[in-house]
Amino acid sequence: MSALMEVTDVGRSFGGFVALAGISASFERNKVTAVIGPNGAGKSTFFNVLSGVLQPSTGSIRFKGQELKGLKQHRFAHLGIARSYQITNLFPELSVEENVRVAAQALKTRYDVFSHRDRYPELAQKAEAALAEVGLTHRRARRARDLAHGEQRALEIAIALVANPELLLLDEPTAGMGPEETKEMVALIERLAADRTILLVEHKMKMILGLSDRILVLHHGRLIADGTPTAVQADPEVRRVYLGQNDGYA
Amino acid sequence: MTTTDLAAGQGVAPRTLPKAGAALDRWRVPLTIAVLAVLPFVLPSQALAVNVLIYGLFTVGFNLLFGYTGLLSFGHAAFFGTGAYLTGMAIALLGFGWFPAMLTGIVGASLLSVVIGALSIRTRGIYFCMVTLALAQLVYYVALQASGWTGGENGLRGFTVVKADLIGGFSVNLLNPLAKYYFIMFFAALALWFVSRVLNSPFGAAIEAVRENETRARACGFDVERTKLLSFVLSGALCGLAGTLSALHLSIVPLDALGVHTSSIVVMMTMLGGAGSFFGPFVGALVFLLIEDVASLWTTHWQLIVGIVFILFVLFLPKGIWGSLIQIVRRRRAS
Amino acid sequence: MDLELILMQLFSGLALGAILVMVALGLTIVFGMLGIVNFAHGALFMVGAYAGLWVAAQTGSFWWALIVAPLAVGVLGMLIERFLIRPLYGRTPDDPLLLTFGLGYVLVEAVRITFGTDGIPFSAPDALQGVVDLGVGYFPIYRLFVMGVVAVILLLLWVALEKTRFGLIVRAGARDPLIMKVLGVDVSRLWLLVFGLGVGLTALGGVLAAPMRNVSPEMGTLVLAEAFVVTVIGGMGSLLGAVVAGLLVGVAVSMTALFAPEMATIVMFGLMALILLVRPQGLFGRPAGA
Repeated sequence: MSALMEVTDVGRSFGGFVALAGISASFERNKVTAVIGPNGAGKSTFFNVLSGVLQPSTGSIRFKGQELKGLKQHRFAHLGIARSYQITNLFPELSVEENVRVAAQALKTRYDVFSHRDRYPELAQKAEAALAEVGLTHRRARRARDLAHGEQRALEIAIALVANPELLLLDEPTAGMGPEETKEMVALIERLAADRTILLVEHKMKMILGLSDRILVLHHGRLIADGTPTAVQADPEVRRVYLGQNDGYA
Repeated sequence: MTTTDLAAGQGVAPRTLPKAGAALDRWRVPLTIAVLAVLPFVLPSQALAVNVLIYGLFTVGFNLLFGYTGLLSFGHAAFFGTGAYLTGMAIALLGFGWFPAMLTGIVGASLLSVVIGALSIRTRGIYFCMVTLALAQLVYYVALQASGWTGGENGLRGFTVVKADLIGGFSVNLLNPLAKYYFIMFFAALALWFVSRVLNSPFGAAIEAVRENETRARACGFDVERTKLLSFVLSGALCGLAGTLSALHLSIVPLDALGVHTSSIVVMMTMLGGAGSFFGPFVGALVFLLIEDVASLWTTHWQLIVGIVFILFVLFLPKGIWGSLIQIVRRRRAS
Repeated sequence: MDLELILMQLFSGLALGAILVMVALGLTIVFGMLGIVNFAHGALFMVGAYAGLWVAAQTGSFWWALIVAPLAVGVLGMLIERFLIRPLYGRTPDDPLLLTFGLGYVLVEAVRITFGTDGIPFSAPDALQGVVDLGVGYFPIYRLFVMGVVAVILLLLWVALEKTRFGLIVRAGARDPLIMKVLGVDVSRLWLLVFGLGVGLTALGGVLAAPMRNVSPEMGTLVLAEAFVVTVIGGMGSLLGAVVAGLLVGVAVSMTALFAPEMATIVMFGLMALILLVRPQGLFGRPAGA
């Protein structure tokens, strides 16, 4: 079986600044891959390129054999790539249910200006299922902005999930969470990983080591290591980069 | 985080509308029509009632774009004025009947909104209001220069519709003010019903998503530009309809129908009533025109008063009259 | 059409453009720093012209008007920022825009009440009357004077922005407002000054323009639209863009007036539409997403 996504020699620069340089990697189905690296290593740029927010300056990205370079961002969702954001990024004035339902509808009924939205019961069902999956069913009627932080993070994931994506990009899903909430989020990601391909950016090392099948390490825009958690932990360059930082990641 | 947790623990009232509110929402079209139907009898003059009708409809169209999609246009006079001019020109120059003339106005305004919308949506954020204003000025100056067709500075005249023939031999006597009022109201009611459908449709949810969070909407798979453009065109068509009705009502089209002032008052009316609410536009139009009506009795400088009231609203009541009422009711239920 | 006429018209366009540069610079400086579009900008241009008119009438001197009026209107701008706009920071960018828009209404009406609704002619001082031989033809001295004043202001602005600490902060702040927090700058005082500066520039434009056209309460409306056109063409927030596009629009309008007078105003909006099609971020604007 071929890889779900094939990244070949992808680079991205801003003016003269090279944020990503010649990244190549392929992602197998139903695996969890973590992308780590010190601040400014290019993780966000990498995610933004994979989700269509930014166009790569060089290289190619193939998803299920189709070239993504040059596609508009909204097309990515239609192909089966969904993402969550590092900073909570919801529809704040809409209810929890509306948040998820509108995300479900994005792939389907965008220009129907005339029939009542309740005419699409399958959208409501999808929304309901996504909410149940992240454990937010009991909050369905609340406004997104009134949720607790952990709940907002969960809603963030539900919005990405409702499109039933094959590839799920999670940008620091546990950012700003306490230990309890983090534990719940890890359990959720583990459940999701059973039948989805997940890529995540994270800072919490312990969590990454427990969760990932594979780790990519970025540093100054380059890929300096790519392997299983054990292999990456033992890698001398990775150790140097992180020990030099000495901020307790490792 | 602790404060949000506390709030969550106490179980803040969910965002389900109160029962009365839900009913209001459900019956919003018949309710608005009922209120409009009695307007000529409760307002000081029938002329005022007709203006509330026409400008209210204009504001409804504008509100679809500003209140629900989050795009602030300062050039909507272009669509109102184009609707009015084309209707008048179709009658005066081409000898059209009132209904084909109306269609001409609406179609023309819609086509123009495709062009202006496509150009202004290419820009981001705050640019949008500048570009819409500038492009509307372009239309204004074109109309000013094409005086052979438009009458230039003197406005367009000579297309009085005395009697509107309907199917089956019936006709409406437009010289009778009340008959004319209900004639216009019929189209306003149709438009309101249409807008209500749009807001309830999946597309209505899509434009709200774009307003709330464009980045996220795009990541979810919405073609944000196209969604905005469609909203822009629907809005332009509705404002065009308001313009055609204004032309039939006044039997002249002043050049100012395309001017900055016309673009401005629709912004003011929306803010006074409450952007993004269904009843807001008519409330706003009513309040604005009442201020104008009352203030112009004792000063020619009523615009000063309107301007000050508007500034006070932006500072202290940014949700407008209707929007603030809804907020108060919600808050009361929550506590 | 002979060459002399075309050259003369070119100069005329540059003088017209110089005024636009003042207005657009004020608009774009305020946007760059405060992130708001000042919809009262055209009205404040008009207020500048009337203030100049009034000072000139009181003192009998155009020169006093040229100095005092922009400063006074600049102070008015600071009051506006302090008491009307400051309460709106932290709300959506639409709110200050709407507020200044309402303010424009109030200013126009206030001027109508004070000075009447009719246009008032305003003549240049005798020293600046008349024409001068430029070698290719005779050219009004006053227009040359306008170009000179604007050139001096641009030079002063350039020095202030490039060579002073204030300028460093303004340039850094326009790029990334967060930097100012890092530098420990008192943002509210800076914004007050910048808003005053922006308003002062447009008021100066108003005083300079007054002898070239009729002074009327409505004169700001077209100016506001023109400033928007210039800003869109030049690129929002780009000072160089404001200068280049201002002159470009001035020349384009002036040249069109020579060949097809009825198209003069229309051509500038057409130019803007063209820019939007081929380069939506403007000539000197940074593209989105960079």
